[in-house]
Amino acid sequence: MTPIYRGIVALVLFLMLRCMFREKDFWKQVTGALVLIPLVLRLLLLK
Amino acid sequence: MKILRGTPVTALVLLVLVGAVSFLAAREFLAMRVPDVVVPAPGYETHLLSEWEPSLKGTPADTPVYIQAGSEPGGTVLVMGGTHPNEPSSSLTAVLFLERARVNRGRLVVIPFANIMGFSHNDPQEASPQRLHFTLADGSVRTFKYGSRATNPIHAWPAPDVYIHPQSGQELSGKEKSNLNRAHPGTPDGDLTSRLAYGLRQLIVKEKIDLAFDLHEASPEYPVVNAMVAHERSMELAAMVVMELEGAGIPMRLEPSPKNLRGLTHREWGDFTETMPILLETANPSQGRLRGRTDEDLVLTGRDKCYTKAAALGRLFVPYDGSQSIELRVARHTATVKTFLDMLGLFDEAKEVDVEGIPTYEELLGQGYGAFLTPLPLKDASPGSQG
Repeated sequence: MTPIYRGIVALVLFLMLRCMFREKDFWKQVTGALVLIPLVLRLLLLK
Repeated sequence: MKILRGTPVTALVLLVLVGAVSFLAAREFLAMRVPDVVVPAPGYETHLLSEWEPSLKGTPADTPVYIQAGSEPGGTVLVMGGTHPNEPSSSLTAVLFLERARVNRGRLVVIPFANIMGFSHNDPQEASPQRLHFTLADGSVRTFKYGSRATNPIHAWPAPDVYIHPQSGQELSGKEKSNLNRAHPGTPDGDLTSRLAYGLRQLIVKEKIDLAFDLHEASPEYPVVNAMVAHERSMELAAMVVMELEGAGIPMRLEPSPKNLRGLTHREWGDFTETMPILLETANPSQGRLRGRTDEDLVLTGRDKCYTKAAALGRLFVPYDGSQSIELRVARHTATVKTFLDMLGLFDEAKEVDVEGIPTYEELLGQGYGAFLTPLPLKDASPGSQG
């Protein structure tokens, strides 16, 4: 169960990163950055 | 807001910031996984619960168990705190018995951090502080974690929509699967919380625990506060203790353990073992729904103007004169457990347990909790390893 969960988180994190680098509006990039933080913590099973 | 142009370079800068914030947050979260340091009094043996339930070995549920035997035979008493790690007077009272007790007769078993998996995280959305600080008599400071009511989801996910208590079929909200005090008497093949409950049951059975305390706290607006809940088998002794406490100026409600509320220690330990279970509750404003600003000061002092107002409106189940300090809450637990120990020999002479060194109700209120903690021998002492 946990590997599947981490796989899903990794996929969403990758998609979010891709969005961030393609985004032309800086403030939307900032929003993406905020979303990345909990994803990183969850991927590493820290929180 | 002015539209700034986003480029791969700005994304890269933001990514570095994400890394920095994640690192700082991770450090905070990982610090919660370091166990609190305790200094057992001379005479205690240190064990792990897996010695009674091997399936817990190597798991995060394997909590320390401390046992001190007196020179004369007698009964065996369990003092367990930390079922709910966001109810600090429970674990702090157990730590007090761990660091101060001198057992002359019988045996004392202390589990300060029963659901140790709930101490490795807390509830940020409840504004819970991470740690409580106590100044000792020598001026040094010791800290204890303020955890969560539930097992860390890292060890307990996924939560079902409905939690079904295995022995009774009772249905509760899914999050109760991570609540140790809904998991008793536990199962050897369930999830970690259930196996932890099973391990505690095995300990009670194999060590022939005569009297078992499960210490708690609850909101001042909850009816079962400044109260003890007793199984049928414990009721006669509990009634004697309540009268003794009333005589000492410590009012205490006595509630019978409901037969249809399953999974709690006062019901399941009584039904599934031979022990006399007692659950104790004090009133903790930092847990309440009526509270205002939530921080360490609220946990330690219980001072809250919202509760002052609620008390004036008659909405509380405890006398509240503007505070409900941690000293008062620990003193209530301590005085109650000590009175039980004093009365146990009168109830059954063969089960007498004689313990010295425990501060009185008045001493705790007068000198504070920190005055009765043992200074740490080394700054970087490893948790729970002394003694």
